[in-house]
Amino acid sequence: MRKRVIYMAKAQEYKQKILIADDSEMNRSILMDMLEDAYEIIEAEDGNEAVRILSQHSEEIDLVLLDIVMPNMDGFGVLDVMNQNRWIEDIPVIMISAESAPANIERAYNLGVTDFISRPFDALIVHRRVVNTILLYAKQKKLIGLVADQVYEKEQQSSLMIDILSHIVEFRNGESGQHVPHVRTLTELLLRRLSQNSDQYDFSRAEISMIGTASALHDIGKIAIAEEVLNKPGKLTDEEYEIMKTHSMIGANMLKDLPIHQNEPLVKTAYEICRWHHERYDGGGYPDGLRGDDIPISAQIVALADVYDALTSERVYKKAIPHDTAVEMITQGKCGCFNPMLLRCLLDVADCIQEEMNKASYRVSRSDLQFVAEEMLKHEELSASDRTLRLLEHERMKYSFFASLTEEIQFEYTLSPPMLTLSSWGANKLGLPEIIMDPINDQKAVGVLGLKEIHAFSAELRSTTPERPVVEHECKMNVDGRERWYRIIGRATWSDDEPPRYIGSIGKAIDIHDSRMKMSDLEQMASHDTLTGLLNHAYAKKQIHDRIKSRPQGKFALAIVDMDHFKAANDNYGHIFGDRVLEYMADNLRKSVRGGDIVARVGGDEFLIFMEYKEDIEHALERIFNKLSGQYEDFKISVSVGAALTEKVGTDYETLFHAADQALYSSKQSGRGRLHFFSESMNGVLTEISPIDSEGM
Amino acid sequence: MSLKDCYNALEGDFDEVLGRLRSERMIQKFVLKFLDDASFENLCTALKDGNGDEAFRAAHTIKGVCQNLSFTKLGKSSSELTEALRGGFNPHAESLAEQVKNDYQQTVAAIREFKSEVDA
Repeated sequence: MRKRVIYMAKAQEYKQKILIADDSEMNRSILMDMLEDAYEIIEAEDGNEAVRILSQHSEEIDLVLLDIVMPNMDGFGVLDVMNQNRWIEDIPVIMISAESAPANIERAYNLGVTDFISRPFDALIVHRRVVNTILLYAKQKKLIGLVADQVYEKEQQSSLMIDILSHIVEFRNGESGQHVPHVRTLTELLLRRLSQNSDQYDFSRAEISMIGTASALHDIGKIAIAEEVLNKPGKLTDEEYEIMKTHSMIGANMLKDLPIHQNEPLVKTAYEICRWHHERYDGGGYPDGLRGDDIPISAQIVALADVYDALTSERVYKKAIPHDTAVEMITQGKCGCFNPMLLRCLLDVADCIQEEMNKASYRVSRSDLQFVAEEMLKHEELSASDRTLRLLEHERMKYSFFASLTEEIQFEYTLSPPMLTLSSWGANKLGLPEIIMDPINDQKAVGVLGLKEIHAFSAELRSTTPERPVVEHECKMNVDGRERWYRIIGRATWSDDEPPRYIGSIGKAIDIHDSRMKMSDLEQMASHDTLTGLLNHAYAKKQIHDRIKSRPQGKFALAIVDMDHFKAANDNYGHIFGDRVLEYMADNLRKSVRGGDIVARVGGDEFLIFMEYKEDIEHALERIFNKLSGQYEDFKISVSVGAALTEKVGTDYETLFHAADQALYSSKQSGRGRLHFFSESMNGVLTEISPIDSEGM
Repeated sequence: MSLKDCYNALEGDFDEVLGRLRSERMIQKFVLKFLDDASFENLCTALKDGNGDEAFRAAHTIKGVCQNLSFTKLGKSSSELTEALRGGFNPHAESLAEQVKNDYQQTVAAIREFKSEVDA
């Protein structure tokens, strides 16, 4: 760890922080001497350290004093990283350098530095410029926070006012309180769909939100309708119906008579909606009998949404109608005529209407909030309010708290700057620092995983997509000087750009060594004969199959070895002795074949040899045959062998095995103790294949 | 020996540095600190190893410190050496490096003498 001096501020007194990045200790101390009374100073000895400190404390640092010529990463490199991470937007940088050639100064300004002070500097000037810059930025930050809070509050309040107003209308209507949010949700849903479906309309997110808000006012005219008419349980008389119908015009007039805000798009749209949300596409609606696209599209859509929600909700005079029936009634024209294009949109969104409406009650304010946040982010100057920073800070605190509790190796990797951050437990476990700059060139970091695995894992992460960013990778890691198996679960992080860029990853490594070892023990048990340690028949078959498949041009031989009179060994000397003979035989077999050959115990005293050959397989097998015969203690070992070649019988395993077995049968028939190769003449000879010893019959 | 005398001995500009840093106490502190600065040793090592980049940075640092402290003479020679090394190591740098070494010895000698009187 390099030296990093932090001069703590006096207790309880907040001091702004200045990062001084300069490779000369002398230069840093001169600056510090001038500034440390008023500011907290953090020192960095080179560009790498500066970047590391910035990445950990970018929210806290109020100013960077940056030298140009430094080892490892120079001042321009630091500025590049600050630009990539957009820190430069929040943290002012004053460059201090003897490199005062105009090209350098220009480059520094282009990279976003606030000021350039050339060496030798005047103490007063440095002090003044530092103070000014920090003051300016502090004001700006405060202003951003203020604006963000006000925008947020204003949006919240206007939305709240409209909710209250429309709720009053509904309350008087005896409606559920859900009608307004429902109409709004469906209106927005239809507007979005319409923008997709048609070239004629293309509503921006802001317009959709605005029309949605205006839709909340569609029934305000009902405030002026008499209670007895409004909430009459039975059917309205003609006269009452005429009174009811006046609500659209009354609502429109209420808006028209507003003494202010007449030119607000929201008021204009609300006027259209109030007045014409009972018009029908064929001119059959009221109050004006407008036809086709003479009816503003906003009113057409709210009309449709209004009808849908009226049908599917319970009212004093009717029961609720199911969703499917309602859609069918509307599309069949039973509720008046609608724009065919809108009916298409209704059918397109039909499946998600109910779901969206159920979300609606809280979705309204949430989506507004999100919208404001997104709009704010679009403006560079409003990049992050204090609120966002607090939230981020909170998230980070939460994360590091939980990370410190779990005994896991967790990591985060960013591509630019190349930096690996490990959870403290993980760093401790691996014997690495928590933060590693440029880990791919860090010997200790690379030593844990190995370059090959790092590249493989990195390739897997890069081949993910933002929709499916998670990969699992099993590999060995060097931990405490021992190799252990780990499963690394990583999630690639992708940028929001189009197309998205891979910008790093997060994840954790889980020790699976013990369970994996257990697995491979089980595999060993499942694939091997317990007595002799040779492969068992099933597993050998699989291996032979794979071998043939991987080398379709190869020539192979399969031989079955059967011990002659083995039953006598068991009978005369006991089973324990018999087992020892089998073990001896297995060992002998293993020694007699080449490394790549497959040897297995097929069962009882039968063994199998599978080998690839180029030429003269007869001689090779004869050699093995001779080695197998001999003596184990008092027991004379003699074997009968039958062999078949893929050259002769083809590569199908069953055929191959069967042919070798026939050859074995033939060699036994001829008096045992010999090696026979399968030939066509043996075909059709009746054989008794038995994995169990059939001696002594 | 006053601080001003020390500056005369190392051929620096005391009035200039006082004008910029404004505090004789602070100037004295950093002048004395100059004795501990490792840049000169780094320069010698880098020159001996033929490490052009490292030599450039070391010369550059010496130059920066001299400028801050108005060590005019050493500042001038180290500045020339810095420029000569900017494009990498070259033979011309050798004679300039000699000059820097001489000036450095002169500077350090003056400061040591000043220091001995301050300590005394």
